[in-house]
Amino acid sequence: MKIILEARDVRYRYPGNQEAVKGISFHIKPCEKIALVGPNGAGKSTLLQMFNGMIRPTSGTILFDNEPVRYDRDALRQLRRRVGFVLQNSDRQIIAPTVYQDVAFGPANLGYDEPAIHNAVALALRQVGLEGFERRPPHHLSGGEKKRVAIAGVLAMDPDVLVFDEPTSGLDPSGSEDLMELLDELNHEGKTIIISTHDVELAYPWADRAILLLDGKILEEDVPDVAFGNLDHVRMAHLSVPTLLELSTELSKRGFALPDRKPRSVLDMVHIIESHLHGSCSHPAPGTITVCNVDEGETSSLPVWVNARPGIIVGAMGTRAKQCAAKEQLAPEFTYGVIDKCILRALRGQDSLILTTSGMAGRVVTRVDAYCKESGNTIRVLPFRSSGQHTSAEKENDKV
Amino acid sequence: MFETLLDDIAQNSTFRHIHPGTKILLGLGSLLICLVSPTPVVPLLSGIILSGVLLIPARVSPLVYGELLFAPVVFTAFSIIVLLFMLGGGDVVWRFSPVSWINLTITENAVKQSELILFRVFGCTVSLFFITLTTPMTDLFNIMKRCRIPPELIDLMMIMYRYIFIFYEQAREIWQAQVMRLGYGRVKESIHSFSQLCGMLFISSWIAGEDLIRAMDCRCYNGIMPTLEAPEPIKMQSLIPVVVYLSGLGGILLVITTGIVVVP
Repeated sequence: MKIILEARDVRYRYPGNQEAVKGISFHIKPCEKIALVGPNGAGKSTLLQMFNGMIRPTSGTILFDNEPVRYDRDALRQLRRRVGFVLQNSDRQIIAPTVYQDVAFGPANLGYDEPAIHNAVALALRQVGLEGFERRPPHHLSGGEKKRVAIAGVLAMDPDVLVFDEPTSGLDPSGSEDLMELLDELNHEGKTIIISTHDVELAYPWADRAILLLDGKILEEDVPDVAFGNLDHVRMAHLSVPTLLELSTELSKRGFALPDRKPRSVLDMVHIIESHLHGSCSHPAPGTITVCNVDEGETSSLPVWVNARPGIIVGAMGTRAKQCAAKEQLAPEFTYGVIDKCILRALRGQDSLILTTSGMAGRVVTRVDAYCKESGNTIRVLPFRSSGQHTSAEKENDKV
Repeated sequence: MFETLLDDIAQNSTFRHIHPGTKILLGLGSLLICLVSPTPVVPLLSGIILSGVLLIPARVSPLVYGELLFAPVVFTAFSIIVLLFMLGGGDVVWRFSPVSWINLTITENAVKQSELILFRVFGCTVSLFFITLTTPMTDLFNIMKRCRIPPELIDLMMIMYRYIFIFYEQAREIWQAQVMRLGYGRVKESIHSFSQLCGMLFISSWIAGEDLIRAMDCRCYNGIMPTLEAPEPIKMQSLIPVVVYLSGLGGILLVITTGIVVVP
């Protein structure tokens, strides 16, 4: 089993204070999404800062890529290049007076030459969807945009692990959802992502693994439905049980036979309820989901295509897809949890169109297939073709 | 909000894309001509033309521009009144002597001198406003680097510029919190509140400084602060009008001073 980050019995004591981290051990695999959850003062931030060597544990070891972290200058620079850290307060992270200069800060200090810096900045800004913001000063940006600049500044160094301290603090709900979507996108590009948060509802469907911290120790470390399912621990950690989990617990206490796997999303919950009410609710023929990859092929025919299909639902997945939707003046109904929401609509007999990017196009098919296999429904996923081609394709389908 | 306002105007200026060098040449060039001009005509002309440029093609709102000019105008007006009485020479134009030991006189020379100073101030102010309102600070850093100003100094200036807005916002928040709790009700309280505000700001800037070092370390700081290149190279279609304008202004100055045309 490959491990990228590991903590072995790490402890840390702030000078003159009591211990903030009291013997923590765990490991993180590459490409995992980890949520560190706990109340204020549980030691989350302290622990996070150990990952990139900002804090040196008083005892115990942190291992990166199976090597103990060394604390000399060069080794630390190498570590910090590979473990990107995004602070809670973006204003404290953004150093330079313009977006370009700030994003270029890491690459310039790593000694890249001018064209390489330029490329790294362009790529990072593209990843976070801030192309064209190069010359803007940070004080002209909104909170969400500042967060994205801070993330781009870290991405420009092309790290393997991204550590976020309270990524959604100070963002409005839609900003938080956009950010979580961006984290998903980055994870899909192969980055390991570690976040600390209080927001149980956000962490529950997102994380692969949740680590509950309390008082400098690990209380629970498991997949989210188990970690958040332990009511005693959740109460001890001053958290709340995610609504879906609470609902499923209540239902099972009322004698509903629920599957072992706890629901992670509204889609899962709907599936559970419907399978109980089997037969009593009528289903129309499921709708289709059309996938349009905005990175490939032309998108100018999208508005015509959408207008020709009244009642179709548009979802945008990923930063560039959202930009494309804005450019073509489409108003996407969904920008977060798009696939699940489109499956839900398809089950109600509605067609939908998902705009997505190359990195995430495959995920639609995988997710829909997985759902169909589990539920026994059939939902067709079609590739997007501009108007003329598509009607003929549909005709063929009708014949079949 | 004036500090941020100036920055906003420059950031959104229609001249934003023009190479900052060209704009600085125009601003500093006309400033220099206004300063050396012995006649008030040249600075007046320069001030009017540049104001026109700022208002029409650069689309600075006339209201904002008026407000900006208001402060220096008031200041100069008061200075001019004093100067009128202080300077001497030539025939007496106006005399005020209600009692024998008060003797206020305005002479011909004083009028001429004051007039020159007034228009010089006007011309120079507008020249500087031209740079301020069309060239954002971020572009000026680039020019400073070209002018071989030590990079350490520029880096510090960049960090200062970045933090002005953060501290400004912070000071405003503290001030608001104080006002909400009636912190500036009486003179004594005002002094007390203001000193608290300064103290708080000092502490928070200290913390921000420590955070800054940490943020820089987090991103592999090695002594380099990247620079932003100019929006576009110097273009002839903007440089030529500037050169023509400056040589025109210089020409007028030359003609007047060498006395080919006598100005009354």
